[in-house]
Amino acid sequence: MDTYLLSQYVLSGLVIGAIYSLMALGITFIYGIMKMINWSMGEFYMIGSYVQYALLATVLGWDLWWLALPVAMLSVFVLGVVVQRFLLRPMYAGGVERRDEYATIITIALMVLFRNLAIVIGGPNQYSPKDYARATTLLTLPISGNRLVGLIGTVVLLLLFYVLTRRTWIGRAFRGAAQNRVGIQTAGVDVLRLDMLAFGVGVALAAAAGALLAPDFLVFPENGAITTFKGFEIIVIGGLGSLLGSVVGGLLLGLIEALGSVFLSPAYKDLYGFLLLLGLLAFRPTGLFGERERTV
Amino acid sequence: MLKALRTAVLAAVVAAVLAAPAFAQAPIKIGVLTPLSPPGDAGAGQLIVRGAKMGAEEVNAQGGILGGRKIELVIEDDAGTPEKGVAGLRKLASQDKVAAVIGQFHSSVMEATQDLAEQLKVPIFSTQASAKKLTEKHLTYTFRTHVIDPDRVALWNKWIIQQGFKRVAVLAENTDYGIGLVEETRKQFASMNVKAELKTIIFDRAVVDLTPQVLEIKNWKPDLFINVGIGTPVYLISKQAYDVGLIPATPTLISYDAPARPEYWKTLGEKGTYATFIVYYHPTMKLTPRGEAFRSRYLDQFKEQPVYGALNAYAQIMLLADAMTAAKSDKTDDLLKSLLANKFVGWNGTISFTRGEGPYWQQWSPPMLFLQYTKPEQPFTEAKIVFPPDLKTADLMMAPKR
Repeated sequence: MDTYLLSQYVLSGLVIGAIYSLMALGITFIYGIMKMINWSMGEFYMIGSYVQYALLATVLGWDLWWLALPVAMLSVFVLGVVVQRFLLRPMYAGGVERRDEYATIITIALMVLFRNLAIVIGGPNQYSPKDYARATTLLTLPISGNRLVGLIGTVVLLLLFYVLTRRTWIGRAFRGAAQNRVGIQTAGVDVLRLDMLAFGVGVALAAAAGALLAPDFLVFPENGAITTFKGFEIIVIGGLGSLLGSVVGGLLLGLIEALGSVFLSPAYKDLYGFLLLLGLLAFRPTGLFGERERTV
Repeated sequence: MLKALRTAVLAAVVAAVLAAPAFAQAPIKIGVLTPLSPPGDAGAGQLIVRGAKMGAEEVNAQGGILGGRKIELVIEDDAGTPEKGVAGLRKLASQDKVAAVIGQFHSSVMEATQDLAEQLKVPIFSTQASAKKLTEKHLTYTFRTHVIDPDRVALWNKWIIQQGFKRVAVLAENTDYGIGLVEETRKQFASMNVKAELKTIIFDRAVVDLTPQVLEIKNWKPDLFINVGIGTPVYLISKQAYDVGLIPATPTLISYDAPARPEYWKTLGEKGTYATFIVYYHPTMKLTPRGEAFRSRYLDQFKEQPVYGALNAYAQIMLLADAMTAAKSDKTDDLLKSLLANKFVGWNGTISFTRGEGPYWQQWSPPMLFLQYTKPEQPFTEAKIVFPPDLKTADLMMAPKR
């Protein structure tokens, strides 16, 4: 195989891996703050893609995709806040004994609910927004304009997220909550309100991935299922709770899948990520950037 | 005591008299087990249901069958997955007590449901599932009024020979349909002495990013690209193949009639131009009087041309009604005998089921045509027939360079 071709596969894997990392970042962010796994993350991705499509098809017109993107994110942020306030908050405020089980049941129920609502409201067929940009070439890779927009959008959102968590007061509160939920309350932070914001931000990141990938991966009720699995794989590879791990894990997963599907077989594309994950867990159980839990 | 007994007997007689007409009018239930939600090809399922409903309405409007009994459809969603298909069939047979089941679309689903149908002794019809092995098993309760894959492959091989294609790439999903087509193509390339190189790639149907595969195919430089995706994957392949520049520069053949549906242009836009695709129905076809009547009603009702899935489902309901009428019974054994012994008016010809060799077992095949879209948003009615030669209305048009 010539290096030109190899470079195309590598680039293709890195591009899709970067976009997947948005999803993983949302999952790991929610886990980091709320210590719960959101199993309905893929459905927030799906809702993001539907909102984007609906806005473009009915209100904004196809050219204003860049305006629809933040609106889609904001809509899903609000939905996330509402879900957290009314369905997940009792987990912390109401003295629920088995929090993990409660969160699992609620988010799996949401997954089924949202998926079926999508079928009822939008029908079972797929939709596709018009292309965000014309196909182009990225170094050696012929790439769809949508994928390039997705990549740029992901980088911008990752930077914004970095600034939010590192340079703002709320970001410091998020990091504090991630380190010690009890400790941060002693500093006067309303951790339940923080949870609400964290959940909203996490699902808005998933919605951004859905909206960015909508023209390429289409809009249909189950479009979030695959990305959810990828997101979970990535956070385990990168290390649960590690934001850097989400990005590196995403790139690594995209790369492994692209190369595995070309050099081995595309029929088992989803298997390669799991093999990487299993191998990594055997040698580094905390993932690439995860830390061992310390308890006193 | 005697008075009470007399009253009870009288009440029983009255109840029996009142119940008799009700029993006589009990509807005959026919199951429609078809994909109506993802990951199945829900668009196909909706059209199948549409046709089946029109068939039932027609029979009922004519007074029903077997002494005025109406046909009642029981619609179940198999979601394109074998487990949901099996659950749906079990419900249709055990709970709803249907006389027969139509609507099967995905070969992988039918592969599972036909074995259960054999156990439950309920006739099951493939409306659009084409894997060879479905009828090759020679099962008593399996019937099909749809093309089979060896015929599909034989036809595209003839086209490859006629067009002089030298490098053919097939990208197929990992279902019974996709894998079956790849195996059949390899086999028939040898048996038909096709002088072309063949490259085949099988992908996981659940995967949405097929960029590495279309890049690999593009770099192999084929002169024909065959897209064997069903439902959402057919669109994902087309979009991503276009984005890396594989199509429309390389002529593409879509393995079934998805482009005939209105959703095709909505999903693909200009990326769908220059695709060639296989259909089993074209608006210029001469239909039977029954088929013509259906076409007129369909046009009136939906303001668009009928699609094959609807025509075939309609014809299956009509032939089941005819078979029961001929048998004067809706009992399974009588229905089976009638299906095998009689000829039925379909949408474009006479349907009969014989027990032939190999996959030609209780099988009836519609014709196949290759159509090509030559401009964006082109109506299905205006697509050109490019194969077979005796029916063609235009030569294959190559796309201009982008």
